[in-house]
Amino acid sequence: MKEDDDGVLVQQCRSGDRTACGKLVLRYQKPVFNAALRMLRNVEDARDVAQTTFLKAFEHLADYDATRKFYSWLYRIALNESLDALGARKAFEPISGDEEDATPGPEQCAEGDQLSRAIDQALARIKPEYRAVITLRHFMHLSYQDMGDILMLPEKTVKSRLYEARQLLREDLVLRGAT
Amino acid sequence: MADSGQLALINAEIDGELDAAQRAELARTLLADTKARELRDGLRRLCQTLDAVPLLDPPAGLQESILAAMPQIAPRPGRRLADRPSVTAWKHASTITAWRYAALLAGILVAGGVMFQLVRGPTPQPTELAGTIALDPAATLVDTAHIASGPVSGHVSLYRDRAELTLRFEVTASTPIDARVSSEGHILQILGVTRGGGGVSDSGAPGVPAAAALPGVAMHGQDITVTFISDGHPIGSATLRAPGSP
Repeated sequence: MKEDDDGVLVQQCRSGDRTACGKLVLRYQKPVFNAALRMLRNVEDARDVAQTTFLKAFEHLADYDATRKFYSWLYRIALNESLDALGARKAFEPISGDEEDATPGPEQCAEGDQLSRAIDQALARIKPEYRAVITLRHFMHLSYQDMGDILMLPEKTVKSRLYEARQLLREDLVLRGAT
Repeated sequence: MADSGQLALINAEIDGELDAAQRAELARTLLADTKARELRDGLRRLCQTLDAVPLLDPPAGLQESILAAMPQIAPRPGRRLADRPSVTAWKHASTITAWRYAALLAGILVAGGVMFQLVRGPTPQPTELAGTIALDPAATLVDTAHIASGPVSGHVSLYRDRAELTLRFEVTASTPIDARVSSEGHILQILGVTRGGGGVSDSGAPGVPAAAALPGVAMHGQDITVTFISDGHPIGSATLRAPGSP
């Protein structure tokens, strides 16, 4: 096992080695932040969720099952925190998907690409559980097995949910003449 | 509208999971069904666009803010990390909820600029809270750390005063600074390390270092982390090494 493998870093972190904890943060802050960003579509909220995710992970490091992938466990915390944040936000500002959001979305890849912009807005209109599978599969490029670990669902269920999510996105785009 | 079998085949193709037989079946379907072809093309375009979205860099300073907000996490024998004080509460330590011992401490505060509040950690005995404000001249220096992190600079020193540890702050800052002291899950909040514009003593006089006793903090060579807080945000930290058993 390499010195900087997640398992080694987690073990060192459990022993109070802050440098090891720092390495884990450095390694995973980007995907954790992006997962939260795609779920919440707001940079500040995503930053807060990313911070809370790592603090909770370090707090509960003793509960982490070392036979599982560390990042799956971490991303699960990030998604749960994001869903909590969405739930807290829901009463105050329901997302219609039509408003301008603060998330640099697909349009960043191809400036002016209407399909990309439409997809970003359509993502905001689908349910969070569908947004979660799209985020894990297409933005974080995870396998179905990893997605199942994170979502605590059988792979078959993950697949069918992802297929539904893709279909919903496409129907939304068709409905709005964006394809 | 494609049926669920067609939809599964199309999605499996997008995910690169079709075997030869399934690929042939999909090809036949696409040749015969215009709607299925449109659906497949639309889903492929959608997924290609989604896959092309790059991950964005997190905001600058995220890593530092996480580490600064982390409590001391070295485990104690026989005590699980999950049983430790909640870092969620730690994160919001400035809230009234997190300051659950504030009322208990209020009775022992003496006039001056340094005040302790127990934020987290094992419930101390009342005698542990009777920390001195003025540093005993007989106290011996154990460790010193230099601080130079933006708004706060100077030294923080750890003294042993009989069976108790004391921190001495010789720091200057442009804004009022508090400090959080953590050691093995035992966390103290020290208010008024400086009030801005320079070091402030327990007597409030500029230039005279503030000192704060650390009731309940063990002495067996463990790290003691001091995090400086301004306006609720960590702005710097220092780590000192506690002495061995007295």
